[in-house]
Amino acid sequence: MICRIVERPVEMNALIKDVASDDIGGVCTFIGLVRNHSRGQRVTHLEYSAYPEMAEKKMRQVIEEIEERFGVTQVALEHRVGELQIGEIAVGIAAASAHRDASFKACRYAIDRIKQIVPIWKKEFGEGGSVWVEECPVDAENT
Amino acid sequence: MRVRVKCFAWACEVTGLDEIELDVPEGGTVGDLRAALGEKYPPFAGRMESIAVSVNQEFSGDARGIAEGDEFALIPPISGGLR
Repeated sequence: MICRIVERPVEMNALIKDVASDDIGGVCTFIGLVRNHSRGQRVTHLEYSAYPEMAEKKMRQVIEEIEERFGVTQVALEHRVGELQIGEIAVGIAAASAHRDASFKACRYAIDRIKQIVPIWKKEFGEGGSVWVEECPVDAENT
Repeated sequence: MRVRVKCFAWACEVTGLDEIELDVPEGGTVGDLRAALGEKYPPFAGRMESIAVSVNQEFSGDARGIAEGDEFALIPPISGGLR
């Protein structure tokens, strides 16, 4: 399964293809985009950085947690790093299962969990300068 | 014992380096590493609760023992985003 940090555009079709097979009945996708505003300020672009080895390890952990929680579900994850422009895809998720319920749940769980435990950082650039977005201090007990 | 610690995001800007070196006692813990960090780089001292420490690519509590050859990193709050 695809599970990686990339420095090029996220390719959703590749993720969908990666999880689909003859025993799959539903694929649910989530696409995280770069938005042009944040906390009332205009955003011109974002810069993502990662601790790549650990990020990929924790992304694999997210997939393992999904397998445990929701049964047989295929999940592909890709997160981009570097400078991203408004409207570009920062993170792509495709989750597939025999019946739709597990794929919806897996997709939701994946994005929430990525934001808790995967070491990826986002710096917002706007008219007033730049700021690290620090919304989620890591709780070592919950990782 | 001297250990190398990777720095990311805000932590990298504070130190000006991708990797720093800290002196911690033999048989020390992540808590000792934090103490050494706060002493060498005072800006961390006031924000220690918002920095996580990873050992060998796993988040670790202050009681965790550390050894030569372990891989350490300072992990500032990650990117978050409203649900």
